[in-house]
Amino acid sequence: MSNKPRVAVFDFACCEGCQLQIVNLEEEILDLIGAVDVVEWREAMSEQSSNYDVAIIEGSITRPEDEERLWLIRSRAKVLIALGACATIGGINKLKNNFDLRDVKKWVYGKDAEKPHLNTELTRSVAQVVKVDYLIHGCPIDRKEFTYIMRCILTGKKPEIPEWPVCVECKLKDNRCLWETGQTCLGPIIRAGCGARCPSSGFRCFGCRGYVNNPNINAAKDVIERYGLDVEVLKRKMNLFGSGNTQVTANG
Amino acid sequence: MSIKKITKQAFANFIDNLIKTATVYGVQPKGERFDFAPLASAKDLRLDYDVTLLPPKRFFQPTTETLLTFDGEGRYKSNFDNENFILLGVHPYDMVAINQMDKIFSKDYYDEHYMKRRNNATIIACDVLTPSENVFAASMGMATVSEGFDILLTDIGDGYVAEAGTEKGNALLAKAETTDANEKDLEKRQKLQQDNQKNLNKHKLKCKPSDIPNLLERAYKHPVWEEKAKTCFSCGSCNTVCPTCYCFNVQDSFNWDLKSGKRQRTWDGCLLDGFTKVAGEHEFRSNRADRFRHRFYRKGKYVPEKLNGQISCVGCGRCVGACLPDIANPVKVFNRLVDDLGLL
Amino acid sequence: MGQSCCSSMKRDIYLPRPATVKKSRMMNGTELYIHIEMDEEPLDFLPGQFVEVSIAGFGEAPITISSSPTRKDGFELVVRKTGNVTNAIHKLKGGDKLGIRGPLGNGAYPVEQTKGKDLVFICGGIGLVPQRSFINYALDKRADYGKISILLGTKCRDQRFFHSEIANWKTRSDVTFMETIDQADNCWLDDVGVVTTLIPKIDYDFSKSIFLVCGPPVMYKFVLLSLKKENVPPENIYVNLERKMKCGVGKCGHCQINDKYVCIDGPVFRYSDLASVPEAI
Repeated sequence: MSNKPRVAVFDFACCEGCQLQIVNLEEEILDLIGAVDVVEWREAMSEQSSNYDVAIIEGSITRPEDEERLWLIRSRAKVLIALGACATIGGINKLKNNFDLRDVKKWVYGKDAEKPHLNTELTRSVAQVVKVDYLIHGCPIDRKEFTYIMRCILTGKKPEIPEWPVCVECKLKDNRCLWETGQTCLGPIIRAGCGARCPSSGFRCFGCRGYVNNPNINAAKDVIERYGLDVEVLKRKMNLFGSGNTQVTANG
Repeated sequence: MSIKKITKQAFANFIDNLIKTATVYGVQPKGERFDFAPLASAKDLRLDYDVTLLPPKRFFQPTTETLLTFDGEGRYKSNFDNENFILLGVHPYDMVAINQMDKIFSKDYYDEHYMKRRNNATIIACDVLTPSENVFAASMGMATVSEGFDILLTDIGDGYVAEAGTEKGNALLAKAETTDANEKDLEKRQKLQQDNQKNLNKHKLKCKPSDIPNLLERAYKHPVWEEKAKTCFSCGSCNTVCPTCYCFNVQDSFNWDLKSGKRQRTWDGCLLDGFTKVAGEHEFRSNRADRFRHRFYRKGKYVPEKLNGQISCVGCGRCVGACLPDIANPVKVFNRLVDDLGLL
Repeated sequence: MGQSCCSSMKRDIYLPRPATVKKSRMMNGTELYIHIEMDEEPLDFLPGQFVEVSIAGFGEAPITISSSPTRKDGFELVVRKTGNVTNAIHKLKGGDKLGIRGPLGNGAYPVEQTKGKDLVFICGGIGLVPQRSFINYALDKRADYGKISILLGTKCRDQRFFHSEIANWKTRSDVTFMETIDQADNCWLDDVGVVTTLIPKIDYDFSKSIFLVCGPPVMYKFVLLSLKKENVPPENIYVNLERKMKCGVGKCGHCQINDKYVCIDGPVFRYSDLASVPEAI
């Protein structure tokens, strides 16, 4: 057995798109699997293991049995990483928290809604259930940031994740502000680190990386007013990724 | 130094020839705005632009640059950019900003990373033809420029007056098909420059730029900082688009061998949360209003102390347009102080 | 004061010079003592100056030199774990390599200007670390200075360090050493309370003495207030400030306090020069 850290990847309620970003690392995937021993990763291999140092968790926690499984993983892992928006802030899955759960089940499952295996609870991020050591934000995650954080973990270094809003990276990309084009972009209150991926392609920031530590709500209201918009418009835009409390930090 | 006249056709030929042998970054449209980008043909060049999204400072202080690399044994090696390039279409206010940054990076401690790029650059500046929506360079006395450029172009309708500012510019200009600029050409140029000194003024400063340090001397506790900062996102956009903001962060990263790597510097901004945070988490300027004030004091007082009194806001107006809550406009802030505190 | 800048030297101002760890040991639960020697030219520094310690892959941290330049073999630092770089420094053992930039800081301690004067060093916790450079400098040139007092306040007993050196200062007849801790326990026999309680116990002519203050950010306000009460003129007070000195050469902007850069104008400032620098204290 090698001395390389043993890494396991697990998924909960998610689309597995963030894991796909890891699979799609191209040359860097070889560097990554050269530096670690991957012992479990359902999306990429058939082996399973209960012996690992680093657990990478994708997805949000929506069922009682998820919580139990997550606690078990936490007890086995030295380092636990929340991967992607579902895991870090609850993600799009959290939308359902805005409605009555019985209605939600009915809409989704129709006449099967009350079957026990379709049981569902309010969506929680991983950090709302167990202690998380590192958060890798985004929907999906940014590959460059993922490899940077992995190299930090492997060298015992605390990664430096931006504390500032997306506007910084957007301006650095030499973009025109999307508010000028009539889009209600969430960039000014959302944590950077994505390289302003969406605004650079002409799409407003949807807020997938969660709020900055200290978002200025006064400023947001002021801007909404100045652009002749309704605060409800902003709230609706924020709901996609911002239902419930999305301001989380790694507590490791 | 020579002052020549060059017809538009001769200028296009000159540029197209330059592109064959040199890297030329020229002003071109980007969507509905303008930007410095690698120039493929003279016909893509838009010297009638109003203002570029980002100022040209990124050609000397890139948004991210590698200062050093280190090997697996922890030995460091400086990393320099050695590429020669031509920057084509720099407006006077941006040229003034570059002149200021040259002083900042060469004074006291000589920053070879910046200065190498600066010395490798040939700057062809041009007088403004289309004032931008928020320009106020005239208020700052920076609507025209007399130094720093290698060549200064002024569009006089049927061609350009091209003035060489350096030997490098002289030699370059010699490659173009020119005639000596005559009196009439120079009159036209003077007229355009005088007009710019009046017209590049969408926001009018109520005092002389030289009054600003004294004004700020008396304004430290003025309520304007708190009032404006109430709606500040701390997004640093005013820093990022500013041609005279040069603060930076430095960060190390490992390569995948987990031993070698690089040390990089990236643009930073004094408005951003965490800018003054020290290891151990104490943050010295944690208050938004204090950070907001700091920027104005940098532009109007602190940096000028390093620049023989020249104000470090050149009136490009970029921050005015970049600030979503519309609080960054230096003219509005300085005028408010003039109104409330008067001039001494 | 200080050293001339190095614009004439065509050396990359960001390039660390190689150095080797001679010795390192923990001094208490949090502080690491580390003795370093430059591999090429020795470090020519003044008390109060700092170095940027570079650990490849982790970054740089500004650390004030704790030893006196009068002691010739290399220099000493005391480092508390507060972030990536200092964590990495804590892993260094004798023989390990590291990078050093410096000495930095044109504002060193006023070792020349204070000759013949009485000195009072007021230290809060790890504030002793930079002060120790000037303390030992003055003790090595004892005849150059008047009376020397060292006041040390520490939070609790197990955070103290430099035990043998302190013991030596305590026994010297030409040094007044007084110590207090905030939270006393049964084994503590000295004073209890914050460091300001020691100030009135000094029996100098305060108008002619030089006060050198260094400690955590919260300490300055209280100490300066006490000194004001004792009518100490601000010209006679020097403070050693800590900020985020990233580049160390007055460019990056992080350590700026109003118009001053802690890295090049300090880190030691004459208090009277800070009258128009509200961000300093």
